[in-house]
Amino acid sequence: MGFWGRGMRCGLRWSFLLLLTAAVAVWGQTALDLDGHAANPLAGHSDKAVVLIFLRRDCPVSGRYAPVIQQISKQYAGSANFWLVDPDKRDSAQDLRSYLADYNYHLPALRDPDHALARLSHVQITPEVAVFNRNRQLVYDGRIDNWYVDLTRARPAPTTHELEDALRAVSDGKSVTPAEVRGVGCYISDLE
Amino acid sequence: MKFPGLWAFVVLAVAAFGAASAHSGQRALSQPSGNPSQVTFNRDIAPIMFRSCAQCHRPGEAAPFSLLTYSDAKRHARQIADVTESRAMPPWLPEPQKLKFADELRLSDEEINLIKRWVEQGAEEGAAADLPPLPKFVEGWRLGKPDLILTASKPLVLPPQGTDTYWNFIFPIPIQKTRWVKAIEIRPGDKRYVHHANILVDRSGASRAREAEPGAGFGGMEIRIESQVFDPDSHLLFWKPGTVPYVEPDGMALRLDKGTDLILNTHLQPSGKPEVIQPSIGIYFTPHPATKFPMLLQMENDLKLDIPPGEKNFVVGDDFTLPVDVELLAIYPHAHYLGKDIQAFATLPDGTKKTLIHIPHWNLNWQAVYRYAEPVLLPKGTTVSMRYVYDNSEENPLNPNHPPARVVGGNRSTDEMCHLWLQVLPVNFDPAQGDPRMALQEALSRHTVETNPADFEAHYNLAAMLQAKNDLVGAIKEYEVAVRLRPQDATGNNALGAALVAAGQGEKAVRYLEAAMKVRPDYFDAHYNLGMALAGQNDFEGAAQQFQLASKLQPGDANAEANLGAALAEMGRFAQAEAHFERALQIDPNQPIAKENLDALKKEMAGH
Repeated sequence: MGFWGRGMRCGLRWSFLLLLTAAVAVWGQTALDLDGHAANPLAGHSDKAVVLIFLRRDCPVSGRYAPVIQQISKQYAGSANFWLVDPDKRDSAQDLRSYLADYNYHLPALRDPDHALARLSHVQITPEVAVFNRNRQLVYDGRIDNWYVDLTRARPAPTTHELEDALRAVSDGKSVTPAEVRGVGCYISDLE
Repeated sequence: MKFPGLWAFVVLAVAAFGAASAHSGQRALSQPSGNPSQVTFNRDIAPIMFRSCAQCHRPGEAAPFSLLTYSDAKRHARQIADVTESRAMPPWLPEPQKLKFADELRLSDEEINLIKRWVEQGAEEGAAADLPPLPKFVEGWRLGKPDLILTASKPLVLPPQGTDTYWNFIFPIPIQKTRWVKAIEIRPGDKRYVHHANILVDRSGASRAREAEPGAGFGGMEIRIESQVFDPDSHLLFWKPGTVPYVEPDGMALRLDKGTDLILNTHLQPSGKPEVIQPSIGIYFTPHPATKFPMLLQMENDLKLDIPPGEKNFVVGDDFTLPVDVELLAIYPHAHYLGKDIQAFATLPDGTKKTLIHIPHWNLNWQAVYRYAEPVLLPKGTTVSMRYVYDNSEENPLNPNHPPARVVGGNRSTDEMCHLWLQVLPVNFDPAQGDPRMALQEALSRHTVETNPADFEAHYNLAAMLQAKNDLVGAIKEYEVAVRLRPQDATGNNALGAALVAAGQGEKAVRYLEAAMKVRPDYFDAHYNLGMALAGQNDFEGAAQQFQLASKLQPGDANAEANLGAALAEMGRFAQAEAHFERALQIDPNQPIAKENLDALKKEMAGH
C-alpha cells in the first residue's frame, strides 16, 4: 500500500500511471462511471490539468458549494478537466444522477466506493479537491477556499481561493503553495 | 381620533426544545454488558443520540442526516466526535449558570468524552441487547390537529447561492371576533434551510403595506410595527431547529382580534440548489381569555454602536432599574455578526448579583429564546444590565466587511444590533394603581430618553406612553422633541398634530399634519386628524374634504364616514350627510357619532 503514499506527489511519470491503473483494476479498487464501468480520470494524455472534487450527498457543505464548483469549472474549462467524485459506497449511480440534476451540475461524475481516488488524492473531507498537473502529479489537495470557518459558521464570502490559485499556478507552470490545506465538511473516512 | 404609538419593534418568539423527544432511553451505563471499558453505540452512545440529537437528526427535521441507528452514527462518527468536543453540537450557546433554562440542550463533559472514546476505539456497535428502544416522535402537528391552519399564499424561491436571506410572510387571521391562543406551531417550510423564524403580531395592518401585492411577502431582517393603543407585545413566538410548540401557561393566552396579521420573519440560508419555502402555521385556540399580562421589555443601545474598523473589544452596555416587581420568564438576546460575548445580569436591591445569561461565543445562526425553568423574581429596584462585546477585526471570520469597515447600529445584517428582550410578568401590584405594564414602559422610555437624548423613537414612545395616560401636556412636549429630531418623519408629525387636536390646539396642529401629508400623501391618519383640526376651527368645508380623502384611502372606515357626515351636516348638506351616516352604520352598526347624528338629522329634516 506504500505505493499509494505521499511519494506519488513528486515525479510520477505518466508511463508509470498505466501500471497504477492496472494495479487498481487487479485489486478491484477502481472508480466507476455512472454506467458502472471502471473509470480512471487520470488516464490518457491531455495538456489539461485534472481536478477531482469529492462530495458527499449527505453533507450540506458539499451542497452549498455546488454553484461555486460549477462556476470555477466553467471558468477554468480551457485548462483543466473537472470530475465530481462520490466516495459513498451506499450511493447508487441513480442516486448520484438525481443529485447532479438537483444541483444543476454539468460535470462528469464518478463513484469511488473503495476510496481508490480518495486515497490517491489524499483528501479527507467533503468537499475537498485534488489538482493533478498535466504530468498527473498531485500538486494540491484540500479545500476549495476558506468560506467555512467550521461546521456551523461560514464567512459572508471566502477571502482565500486555494483551488483557483492552484489552477493558475499549474497553468503558469509554477509550484503550488501551500500544497495542502484541510477543508471543513464531512469526513470521507467515516464512510469506511 | 387616531393615536398611533410607535412601539419600537419587538420580536415575538417562543422557544422550546426537545419535549417531543420522548425519553425512552435513560443512560444505560449502570448495566454494562461485555467489556465495560469498550465504549459501544448500543450501550453508551445511542442514549445520548436519542436524547440530545435525534429531535433534529431524523427524517423530515432540520438536520442534514439522521442519527437514529448505528449505521447512521457510524457514517458520521469522527464528525460527531469533533462537533461535540467543540460544543458546536448540539447547538446551545449559554454557559452553565445558577438560573436554569428549560430544555437545556447541553452535553456533559462525561458524555462528550464517551463519544470521543467510542470513535477512538473504532466506533463499535456492541450487543443488540444493550440498545434502548427508539424514542417515539409525534408525526405531523405536534399538539394534534390545530384549530386553524394557515399556509403562506406565495412561496419564496430561495436562490441556490448568495448571502443569507431574511423574508417575511404575512398570515392574515380569518376570524370575525377576538380569539385567545394557547399555542402556535410554526412549520417554517423546509426546515433544513430555515435557520430561525419569529412570529410578530401586527394589529395595525402596517406590514401589508410593505407587500408589492397581497400575499407576496417582503424582505428584511427586522420589522417595525406601529400600534394605535397601549397594547404591548407580550409573547415570544420563536422557532429554531428542534423546537416543539410552546403551550402558554394558564391565563397567559395570546389575544388575536379580527384584522390581526401574524408576520413570520424567517432567516434562510441557500443550500446550493433552488429551494421552495412555503411556511404554514397551526393555531390552537383556548376558550380562556388571558388573566395574566406579561410584557416584552426591550432593552437596547443601538445608538452607542459605532464600531471602528479593527476594534476587537467594543463594549456596549445598558442598565435599567425595574419600577415594579416582576417575574422574568424568558430572555432573548440579539446581535448580528460582530457580536462576540453577550451577557445580562441582575443586581437585586440587596446587592445580590444574578447572571441572567452569558453567551461567550455569540453565533447569530443559533440565536434563540431562552425560557427559565422557573420564573425568576426580580423585585422593584432591581437593575438589569446588559454587556455586549463586539469584534470588528479581521480576526472575526463572520465580519461582513473585508477588510473591516466602520459599523453602526441598524436593521440590515451588515449593521449591528444590541438588543435584549425580557419577557416579564408584573407581580405583587395593586390593580388600583393602574396597569403595571404602563409603569414599566414609561420607566423604560424615560430611561432611553436619558441615555440617548437624540433618539427619536425613545421620545416618540415616551410621548405615546404619556398620551395613553392622558398626560397631553407631557406627550406634546415629547412629540415636539421627536419632530425636532426628525422633521421629515410622517408618523412623528401626525402624532404631534393628533395630540395638539386632542388638547384643543387644532390651529397649531395644522402645520404638523400638513407636514405629515407632504411626506406621505396617502397617510389616512393625517387626513383624518386634519379633518378633526379643521372641524374644530369651524372650517367644515376643509374638514369635509379631508374626511373624504381619508375615506377614499380606507373605504371601510366607519369613523371617517361618520365625521364626513357630521361636517356635511354642519354645512346644511343634509341629504349627503344622511348617506354618509348610513354608510358608517353599514360598516359598524354601533358607530356612536353616526347613530346620534342620524337621529338628530332626521329630527332636523322632519322639522323643516
